[in-house]
Parts: sequence; structure tokens; C-alpha cells
Amino acid sequence: MAPKVQLRLNGIRKSFPGKSEPVKVLDGLTFDIHEKDFVSIIGPSGCGKTTVFNVIAGLAEPDEGMLLYRGQEVENLRGRVGYMMQKDLLFPWLTVLDNVLLGLDAKGVSPAEARDTAREYISTFGLSGFENAYPKMLSGGMRQRAALIRTLVLDPDILLLDEPFSALDYQTRLYLEAVLLEAVETFNKTVILVTHDIDEAVALSKRVVVLSHRPTTVKSVHDIDLSERSPIAARSDPRFSGYFHTLCAELDIQTRATA
Amino acid sequence: MSRMTETAMTKPGAAAPAAKKSVAARRRSRGNALDSTLGRSALQILAVVGFFLLWEVAVDIGWANAFLVGQPSGILGVLVSSIADGSLFVDAGYTVFEALLGFAFGTVIGSLIGLSLWYSVFVARLTEPFIAAINSVPKIALAPIIILWFGTGLTSKVALAVSLTAIVALITAYQAAKDADKDLQALLFSMGADKHRIFKKVIVPSTLPAIIATFRINIGFALVGAVVGEFISSQHGLGHLIYTASSLYDLNSVWAGLFVLMLVGFVFYHLVELTERWLLPWKQEQHSTQINV
Repeated sequence: MAPKVQLRLNGIRKSFPGKSEPVKVLDGLTFDIHEKDFVSIIGPSGCGKTTVFNVIAGLAEPDEGMLLYRGQEVENLRGRVGYMMQKDLLFPWLTVLDNVLLGLDAKGVSPAEARDTAREYISTFGLSGFENAYPKMLSGGMRQRAALIRTLVLDPDILLLDEPFSALDYQTRLYLEAVLLEAVETFNKTVILVTHDIDEAVALSKRVVVLSHRPTTVKSVHDIDLSERSPIAARSDPRFSGYFHTLCAELDIQTRATA
Repeated sequence: MSRMTETAMTKPGAAAPAAKKSVAARRRSRGNALDSTLGRSALQILAVVGFFLLWEVAVDIGWANAFLVGQPSGILGVLVSSIADGSLFVDAGYTVFEALLGFAFGTVIGSLIGLSLWYSVFVARLTEPFIAAINSVPKIALAPIIILWFGTGLTSKVALAVSLTAIVALITAYQAAKDADKDLQALLFSMGADKHRIFKKVIVPSTLPAIIATFRINIGFALVGAVVGEFISSQHGLGHLIYTASSLYDLNSVWAGLFVLMLVGFVFYHLVELTERWLLPWKQEQHSTQINV
């Protein structure tokens, strides 16, 4: 049985005004996101990965093309996505609790109920006792965890993760990858992850979408079939390095200084 | 726990604690012994007392002319007598009241206009040259017109203080609103927030530190407005006191007025600091960020 398509990007084109002529960034991008999918998008620097997210989240309008959500054409998924970036984007003037509440009171949940839900999530993700701390007092990993809580508590249809862990040290990163995978499993979420890290893409994803250089199109889509999907176990799967090398070849990565 | 093991470890060898002490001593000697709250206060008081003593003696032995520079003992006499007859409190009260009203109106009006310019890029671009033009006029030059328009009483002083403070608050608030973190706005937008909510949740809190920073400047400007207004035409106030005394060559009274003004400014400045700590709890440093070079 073919998996059900949750979100389809169809022929998305987007250019930005350049110095002399418009710069074509997305040149007819088409790919599918399945229900409960975990898709990583990888591609060379500056290929417009973040632009893809901005189009989905409604932060940028495509010049051409359309989004189909569960078969219906939509303008964007504003209000239905959970956006997470490399920067934690915690509001410095709000406490951890108020940061988590930020999206909830916009959704029209009653304040008391929102507070309870927020506290529950905070304790699930091991930040109990830091509810009233300001982001500045937390470590980078804790801040990113708070950002993840804020994203999940909204119960979004799709999580858009734009290199959320790339500013963290390797150990914290492995740990947060595990936290993410577990949360996605528990809450049945669909995830689109933009990453520079092929390693991370293979370890976490069900599928990997490889983008080409600008003007960007989809170069290929790979199904990742590992017996276990946990950050460390996945990396020790015998097939892991096979995927890794295939994707490196796709990206045309050169490790020698002189070509 | 770690402290316990530490003491346990230093116990056996006699050399270990000695070495530790010398490190601690070296560490202590790096900081100045006078560099403590008490030490600094003592030095500051010493400097002030020394200054006045020098002044007093210089006039007594004829190095300086009492008629032209005044004398601390005379200033003290003026202060004591004007406190006794209550006139000092009346004058200071007028000036403080004018300055505070001017500061409050100016800051509120300026900040509100500055913030509201964020709502419309069109209006902001349209008004930008006018704001720049108004800003480039030395507001003190408006004083004669303001006195003509608003009379010689309280209103003209407040209006002058407003004209000085409002533009500073406006420009600062608008600039800070423009500079507010775009990513935070994008995040809220992706959550479905409308412009008004972004304004409330991102723009206002992120401009607040800048607006409070203008308090420091504007409290001074408000005093300038009040005092200059009093110079031109008034019946009361510290500016009135200074101006009339100087036309009578009563230097001691001029100094008395100036020192009280200084005290008022000093108190205002610290009130601003308290307000800042109260309004921006998230900005307070956990520990000093100054690098020890």
C-alpha cells in the first residue's frame, strides 16, 4: 500500500531580486511529505532550503506552484506548523514557562488549561524547576529543549526544523536528537528537517530529499531503511555507511583541497 | 560534597594549604583594597570635602575673589536660611514638578508616536525628513515662542521640556522598533499571529530597553527645559533663583541653586536605574561581564 501524502509541494518557483536581474532560487520544486513522515532535506549551501520552509510557513510567497495539503490546495500552512531554527528564538524577556505559553494563548486555549499543559510538557522534557528562569540563565542545550517544547505544545501538523541542533556540541546534539525522535514517536508528528549534516539526516529520517545547486530542483529522494532509528543505534547499523556514501556522492562533496 | 573532599584533601600535607594561601593572597592583591563599596564611598567623600576645603581656604587667604566665585561657607549659609524659611523647597518643588511633567508627557508622547510608526512603513518613510528636520532645530531656540504661546507659568516650562524630550523618545523608539528581531517576528507569524499581536509580543518588549535608556537622557533634558524656561520668565523655581541671584552678583545663592539642581538630577538618575531594574528583570546580569585585564 502506498503511503498517504500529507503535503505535496508542486512546481514551487521563487526568485529574489538581485543586483542586475532576479536570482532564481527555487526552480520548480516538487516533492511529497507522507503522513507521519520524517523527511530530511539536504543540499549544497545557498540552495534555498530555508526558502522552502518559508514558503510552507507562509513567510514567503512562491512566484509559481502550489501546496496541496491532504489533497486540498492551500496558500500556506501558517498557524499549523511548528517552526524551529538554529537560533532557539526564545523571547529573552519571557520566562521558560511564558515562552512555552507563547503560541498556546494565541490558539484560544484557556489560560489555566494552557498553563497546565505547558507545565506538563516542561516536566516531560526534564526542564522542571526552570519554569521561571529566563533563557539567558540556561545552557544552549536547555534553551533548544525549551524551544522544542514550545514547538510541540502547539500540537502542529508538521514540524519544520531548520538545522535546530547545528549550534550545539556533539553530545548535546545526540541527546536532543533522541529526545526529538521519541517526541515525534509519542505525538505522531510529521517532521521536515533541513540539515547540513548527512550523518544526522541518515540517522533520523525515513526519507532524504537531495536538492541541487541553484536554481534548485529535487535531485533525488532516498528511502532510508535502518533497523533502528535512535541516534546511536542507527549510526552503528551496517547499512548506515552505505547511505552516507551515496548521499555524499549525490552532493558531490570533495574533501581534497585540490580537485 | 565537593567542598568536603577539598578540605579533606588539603589536610594531610602542610605544604598544600600554604601553597593555596599564597595563591589566594596573590588573587586578593590583584584587586585594589580600596575597591569596595566602603572604600569607594570614602574616597568620593574625601574628594568632595577636599574640594570644598580648598575652595574655602583659597578665598580666605585671598587666592580667589569671593565676589566672583563665592565661598562654601556662604553657600551653606544660603542653603540653611532658605531651608529655614522654606523658600528652597518651594523653588525646588516647582522645578522638579515642571521637569517631571515634561519628562512624562514627552517620553510617553514620543515613544507612542515612535512605536506607532512601526505599523506603517509608508507613514514612517513619509514623515522621516520632517522628524529629522525637527530634530535638527536646537529646541532651546523655541523657548521665546513657547513662552509667548503658553505664558509665563507652569505650562510653558512643561511645553519646553516636552519639546526637548519627545523627539529623543520618538527617534529612539522608532529605531528600536525597526531593529526588533525579525526571526522572533517570523516565528510568531508562522504561529498565525497577526500584526497587532506581533506588536504587543515582540515590538513593545524589545523596544523597552531602548526607551528606558532614553529616560536617562531625557530626565536631564527635562531639567534643561524647566530651568531655561525659568530663566526667561518665571516667579519661582531653581532657574528663577539662579537667574535673579546672578543678576544681583549673589554668587553664593547661584551656587546653592546649582548644587540643589545637581542633587535633583542625581536623585532622578538613580530613580531611573531602579525603574530599569524593575521593568527589565530579564536584562539583569547574573555576574559581572567586565573582563579582568
